[in-house]
Amino acid sequence: MALTAEIYQAFEDVVGQRNISQDKGVLESYRCITSQSSAHYGPFDHKTPLPQAVIMPGSTEEVQKIIKLCNKYKIQFKASTTFWSAMGFIGSENAIQLDMRRMKGIEIDEKNMIAVVEPYAIGAVVQVEAMKVGLNCNIPGVGCSSSVVASTAGWVGFGPTSISMGVAGENMLGAEWVLPDGEVLRTGSLGAGAGWFNGEGPGPSTRSVLRGFQGTTGTMGVCTKVAIRLHPWPGPTCIPTRGQTPAYKASLPDNFKCYTLCYPSWEAWAKGAAMLHEAEIVYLGHRQFNMFGRDIKAAMLRILNDPNGQLADLEPLLQDPELKKQNELMKMDIQVVLAGMTARDIAYKEKVLDRILELCGGWKSEMMLEKDMQDYVLLYLLRLGHKNLNYTLCGSYEGNYGLSSNVFVATAVIEEASELKDKWAKTHTTIADTGGDSDMGSLSIIGGGGAMGWEFFVNFDAYDKASIQGTNDFIDETQKWMTSKGLGVDMGRWNQDIRRKDGLNFTQEEHDAMYVNAAQPLVFAYQWKVREAVNPNHLGGSYYRTLTPSKIGLA
Amino acid sequence: MALQDFRPMQERCSNCLNCRWVPFDKLKSERFGENCPSIAYNNFMTYSARGRFQLGQTILDGDADYTETITELVHDCMACGSCDVTCKVCRYNLEPLEHNIELKVDAVEKGKTLPAQAGIMAALKQEQTMIPGSKKAQRLDWAKGIQVKDLFKDKAEVAFYPGCKYSYDPKLQKVAQAALKLLIDAGADVGIMGNADACCGGRALQMGFRAEFTERAEANIKAFNTAGVKVIVTPCSDCYHALKRQYAKLGLAIEVLHTVEYLERLIEEGKLTFTKSVNMTVTYHDPCHLGRLGEPFVPWDGTEKKIMNQVHTWSPKRPRYNGAYGIYDAPRNVLAAIPGLRLVEMDRIREYAWCCGAGGGCSQTLPEYSAWTASERITEANTTGAEAMVTACPWCEANFMGAVDEHGKSIQVFDIIELVQQAL
Ligand SMILES: Cc1cc2nc3c(=O)[nH]c(=O)nc-3n(C[C@H](O)[C@H](O)[C@H](O)COP(=O)(O)OP(=O)(O)OC[C@H]3O[C@@H](n4cnc5c(N)ncnc54)[C@H](O)[C@@H]3O)c2cc1C
Ligand code: SF4
Ligand code: SF4
Repeated sequence: MALTAEIYQAFEDVVGQRNISQDKGVLESYRCITSQSSAHYGPFDHKTPLPQAVIMPGSTEEVQKIIKLCNKYKIQFKASTTFWSAMGFIGSENAIQLDMRRMKGIEIDEKNMIAVVEPYAIGAVVQVEAMKVGLNCNIPGVGCSSSVVASTAGWVGFGPTSISMGVAGENMLGAEWVLPDGEVLRTGSLGAGAGWFNGEGPGPSTRSVLRGFQGTTGTMGVCTKVAIRLHPWPGPTCIPTRGQTPAYKASLPDNFKCYTLCYPSWEAWAKGAAMLHEAEIVYLGHRQFNMFGRDIKAAMLRILNDPNGQLADLEPLLQDPELKKQNELMKMDIQVVLAGMTARDIAYKEKVLDRILELCGGWKSEMMLEKDMQDYVLLYLLRLGHKNLNYTLCGSYEGNYGLSSNVFVATAVIEEASELKDKWAKTHTTIADTGGDSDMGSLSIIGGGGAMGWEFFVNFDAYDKASIQGTNDFIDETQKWMTSKGLGVDMGRWNQDIRRKDGLNFTQEEHDAMYVNAAQPLVFAYQWKVREAVNPNHLGGSYYRTLTPSKIGLA
Repeated sequence: MALQDFRPMQERCSNCLNCRWVPFDKLKSERFGENCPSIAYNNFMTYSARGRFQLGQTILDGDADYTETITELVHDCMACGSCDVTCKVCRYNLEPLEHNIELKVDAVEKGKTLPAQAGIMAALKQEQTMIPGSKKAQRLDWAKGIQVKDLFKDKAEVAFYPGCKYSYDPKLQKVAQAALKLLIDAGADVGIMGNADACCGGRALQMGFRAEFTERAEANIKAFNTAGVKVIVTPCSDCYHALKRQYAKLGLAIEVLHTVEYLERLIEEGKLTFTKSVNMTVTYHDPCHLGRLGEPFVPWDGTEKKIMNQVHTWSPKRPRYNGAYGIYDAPRNVLAAIPGLRLVEMDRIREYAWCCGAGGGCSQTLPEYSAWTASERITEANTTGAEAMVTACPWCEANFMGAVDEHGKSIQVFDIIELVQQAL
């Protein structure tokens, strides 16, 4: 159903002719082909619906006017910023897509160690601007191309630095929201007219309502500005780099150390991780390169470090006995970065790290101590600018055995999860066969440590229908196994269930049927109440999961 | 390749949209972080390389047509290749630039062109130049008064090939003259193509007119082969890319050098020495077609091969054009050899340099957008505090000459050859 000329004109009057389009070719590029691109977060092989128009607001006032028009004409809307996440695309045929690209302001408040950012200020630009004054920001594991506002207000937001800096939600201070009814809400100290510095009182604190742990995926209005906490950066004002594309390397002073820690068993690994949580010495921690697969990670690192390297080099490299040995030595590994605020500080942190390794029987990977390799990994992890390597093997991947949990719970069955995947890859050609364990995740998904984020990468070819279907089947298989282990819903399945297989929103009846028997139905009933209060016309779409309270006997 | 041959790439693009930014490892500021003029100017995602992949699919599926908006969008790509470099920081099996051009070819084949392109292509057909209004008969006027061999009649080792812009633009002809004199003074056995001198056609390919490009390329290859030269030297970066990368695909086997490479060799061999100081702080603009697109063509005939069930590789190993081996150091080495000259770098340089705005024919077809793109670069240049911007391509120079930065301030623009000349 196309917008009437009158409605289109009303939107155009708000943003101007250059910032709105209903050209079919333009609109088509605002559909998410879920198996193909942001694969992550399927469902597989479907497109999200075609928006009625794409609109690019340039200010909070414009956003407010657009939302008021949406309410007037009962049109759904969804704001998205970088569009990497499939959650950012609409789920209704009667919806417009807001592309927040034109709002990209950044203000760094060095004294208060905060940044006030608009949606299109991506992690990379906030980081480079913050580093100029000795500060840094948490960049989620998705990488520095992601929007700070989207990660903070919209969707998840944990990453390698969360161990020392906290996750996006924890870093969120004041925020400015245009609510789904068109009202503007300013939270925290901002709401009390006292500036951006604090997320909780003296003004309203609605962080848990509008953001929660995972974020409200654009269903609770549009966040137009947010203040985030910045953290000390004991490095140069601009990370000096060397090397040829794509094998760029950081040349940082001695107060930065980058190690790949290896352990003889998963028990030792978990103990090591828990000790790292306790010791508070780590600037950044992530199991990164295992995402390529346990059997090929050393070879992949060699390829990535060589400007002439290519995937075609994999086969010969895998025959190299020395590389095989190095690969075997880092079977159960994790990458960490230490950053010393002073010479004494880095010496202390190194000493503690060595002691932890000693207590757990762990070691530092030799191959990863090579200068060029260390500097490549250091740059990779500090900037998180190569995140599209997630897709490099086959063009697409989906996460299986996705879990946010205590380290001891996840590691207890990781070898079983690995065998499950290995067996599947050996008996089905639909997913890449790179060695079972392809787990990747952050050392902590909450500031200071505690829980970890896990995900096995299942690489598949988005151009090959059999590969897409086979991956879907494997995710089903994983879910069966996880259910049998009492591990709950696989992250991949959970994320795919955000919309129907035809790419459209769920109806309330469908949501009710899905969540009435959930482990914690009260959560969804609570969300129903939040939605009714904040979003009475249901214009945000159904990515926010709700359960009609009467279905579980509540008023 | 036709558009449908790009289907696997279209479907394997991972929507990361890194193609909108300089390589993140090289990002130095918020202000100068974007790399793609097309999306930076137009904002809709469709203008990015990713958007073009998705648009390509849509067109193949018949889900959208070449409306006026889409026709302009397709031709709005500057063919600068910046998206190609950033995409390949992580991906080994996508060719965004080739796809962007293929989309233009598809549009052209369906008669979906921009109004200004008709005049440009008519000039190419009738006068063998892509500068409308210029006449074949006046092509060699720039060389009047210079004693040089005519390769149409005489033999020489080196062919000096200035290209249309240096040949016809009255403001730039002096650069072609200076370059040729430098070669002659350095003792090179050099000539010009005489009556066989004609447009390289490179910009026709950048605009999606592949058939017209191929026709010109075949004629020029024949002419170079007949002349029997060993080396072709050109001061134009567009010509350089056309001859070195594109003609090589069609069989040109003669060595191709940009003037900066030739000058660098002369300096290294002691055949070019400087006697005067040029007291100036300059910044250097890497032309796209000399820098990231200046890598040599490597023949390859192979197919995709999946290993480990689904991992994409090529058999045999496929050459990879990602800007790693473009011509970046030669111009900087020439500048460094000039006494008194100081070079300060902009934020976006080498393989991730911002386009001047003339690429893809846009300075002729979409002048407002092209001027904005140039203005962005001048703003960046002025931020360095340099007194002048130096470059090595007439299309860049011409586009910068008339442009001003975001505060309305211009900058002096020099071809590297002019500075070399000043220092002699
Ligand atoms: C390959 C891949 C890897 C990932 N890895 C991780 C990871 O390691 N850790 C992690 O925490 N997350 C991860 N994610 C999810 C990730 O958190 C989000 O994709 C990302 O942080 C959000 O930023 P974005 O720029 O991608 O947002 P977008 O794609 O722009 O949007 C994300 C969500 O936020 C909403 N949104 C965007 N802008 C606004 C706004 N202005 N107001 C209100 N809502 C808005 C959108 O509607 C959408 O629902 C991953 C995603 C992908 C595709
Ligand atoms: S070639 Fe240049 S203008 Fe065209 S899409 Fe790529 S970066 Fe943009
Ligand atoms: S073209 Fe390359 S850089 Fe752009 S979205 Fe696709 S994979 Fe990413």
